[in-house]
Amino acid sequence: MNIVVCVKQVPDTATERKLRSDDKTLDRDAADGVINELCEYAVEEALRLKEAHGGEVTVLTMGPGKATDTIRKALAMGADKAVHLVDDALHGSDALGTSYALAQTLKKIGFDLVVLGSESTDARTGVLAAMLAERLGVPQLTFSNKVEVNGETITAQRVTDYGYDRVEASLPAVVSVVEKINEPRYPSFKGIMAAKKKPVTTLGIADAEIDASQVGLANSWSEVVDFAAAPPRAAGTIVKDEGDGGVKTADFLASKKFV
Amino acid sequence: MDFTLPESALAVQRGVTDVCARYDLGYWQRCESEKRWPQEVWDDLARGGWLGLAVPEEYGGGGQGLLELAVATEALSASGAAGGSAFTYVLTPGFGALTLARHGSPRQREELLPKLATGEVETCFALTEPDAGSDSLGISTFARRDGDEFVVNGRKVWITGVQRATWMLLVTRTVPAAEAKPRSHGLTILLVNVPEAVAAGSLSYRPIPKMGANTTPSNTVFVDGLRVPAANVVGEVDQGSRVLWDILNPERILLAAGGLGAAEVALSVAVRYAGEREVFGRPIGANQAVAFPLAEVKAKIELARLMVHKAAWLFDAGLPCGTEAGIAKLAASQAAWESADRAFQTLGGMAYSLEYPVARLLADARIGKVAPVTEELLLNHLATRVLGLPRSF
Ligand SMILES: Cc1cc2nc3c(=O)[nH]c(=O)nc-3n(C[C@H](O)[C@H](O)[C@H](O)COP(=O)(O)OP(=O)(O)OC[C@H]3O[C@@H](n4cnc5c(N)ncnc54)[C@H](O)[C@@H]3O)c2cc1C
Repeated sequence: MNIVVCVKQVPDTATERKLRSDDKTLDRDAADGVINELCEYAVEEALRLKEAHGGEVTVLTMGPGKATDTIRKALAMGADKAVHLVDDALHGSDALGTSYALAQTLKKIGFDLVVLGSESTDARTGVLAAMLAERLGVPQLTFSNKVEVNGETITAQRVTDYGYDRVEASLPAVVSVVEKINEPRYPSFKGIMAAKKKPVTTLGIADAEIDASQVGLANSWSEVVDFAAAPPRAAGTIVKDEGDGGVKTADFLASKKFV
Repeated sequence: MDFTLPESALAVQRGVTDVCARYDLGYWQRCESEKRWPQEVWDDLARGGWLGLAVPEEYGGGGQGLLELAVATEALSASGAAGGSAFTYVLTPGFGALTLARHGSPRQREELLPKLATGEVETCFALTEPDAGSDSLGISTFARRDGDEFVVNGRKVWITGVQRATWMLLVTRTVPAAEAKPRSHGLTILLVNVPEAVAAGSLSYRPIPKMGANTTPSNTVFVDGLRVPAANVVGEVDQGSRVLWDILNPERILLAAGGLGAAEVALSVAVRYAGEREVFGRPIGANQAVAFPLAEVKAKIELARLMVHKAAWLFDAGLPCGTEAGIAKLAASQAAWESADRAFQTLGGMAYSLEYPVARLLADARIGKVAPVTEELLLNHLATRVLGLPRSF
């Protein structure tokens, strides 16, 4: 099975994250880049599927030059090779632009299964898997906490508010995973050493036949108009129990539409 | 000259830091107060091949040397384990794997190295005796030859990790210290199967209640008519001092590396607090009286690290490294102690609260100035061997 895992580099959530004042995009130089946490789960799932069914795992990353660190990490976990889509023209692409660029690249490199994390810790749109499936014209099995492949059929448990749905599709397909799906392995010493020698192909937009007018900040459908720091948290409401604490708490929750 | 670490060491730094990132200061604090072996970390380190770094590849290890082990020890220590718990890492990857990789007989290597590489089998090291600590050549535990075996009697103290060890590297005398010429002659190092010896009733141990480093107990060990096959001699009979120095120098270097990590973690606690705590309307770190000592600690850590890496590099190159290992140990344990002490001062009264990690880091750093070798003994070596001053002992 030819599995492609989409892996994104994001700013470390442990450090202060900033937007650039000039074009209001994420300031990727201000923070250390790390692998998006859910992408580790995606890599792990891809590796497990490969271990069970054979085949190859390719990492696909769209991102600036420094994203190679993140690619190496995925390779150190055990992926076989990587494709790095890097081009200044891609800077500032929104979800639509990103899904288009990734879909073009996927068409170019081929796949039986695409695995993604269900969202990234920086943008948190959570729509990329669905957009990608639509652009590729293949089924989507999103928010999965369990995935099984049987011949040409893929089955997943799709997490919902009330439990999960069992969904089934034929390959090729796109799967996105949630963190309950597995426990990602750490790169081993041998894995890290071997990762240095694994092939990483760098593609620009021309190589992947990406139309420049559909990507980048200027061509984004969504626009960041303004941004401000989150206001400091206001003091909480303290309910004093004078025999009616339960009622007051319930009223408060109702007023906030929690119950 | 090139000061960048080799790729192998960088991989270790990244990999071990990654593994340990899941365990914070709180985790290590709990292990310490529950006097519990950090099993989760141990298992994760084993899975990634980090315990077998110094085991040759043909025995399933990483094929690396002391430099990689030192970098791993620092990373483990800096994650919150601190020096005392970094000792957990020295026992098997250091004492066991590194020693047998260099000095084990083909049979010992074949039997033990693959299991040491995976952490399946653990080791400990027994040198110190009630009447011979700093004066380690003055040990009296005696191994008498009896056909194909040695019969050993004696007592050891402070032996760390006996509870988990399958094998003990037991340092014995086969020529009494008083008759040995030179005094370093007549030492023999034996591999003792601990569970078997305990079952045979010829070895027993009792943990010593201690001030810190409680993730691994240290014990008084009683050896009484212990029979060890002659095939279990590491190196050669009477020539154990050669092997011994290849245990003691790496131990100093690894625990120096543990000291670096301990210094870094205490410093980071202090720096965070100094930036956040406001007194008289400004962060205390804005006072040079608070900031400068922390800056000085940073400088000392960096200096000590250069020496740790240099000493490890010398060892790996098969060059003499005793003086450098000693200087590394001296510098790193002083940096660790100063860092913990300054962290204590920075946190003020809160440092004394067990809800902050500083008290543990302070108790932990204190031991580095005494074990595995005291500062005075290291200075003695520098004074007499390097400066050529008259011997005091
Ligand atoms: C937590 C812990 C774990 C340990 N683990 C192990 C282990 O696993 N295996 C093992 O074999 N040992 C272990 N040890 C023992 C350790 O190596 C010894 O404690 C250390 O070598 C010092 O020996 P000592 O305690 O007998 O001190 P002593 O030799 O009695 O020294 C006491 C004091 O006198 C000073 N002194 C002595 N002679 C001189 C001199 N000539 N000039 C100046 N000062 C001098 C010393 O510097 C020291 O300050 C451990 C110790 C501790 C505390």
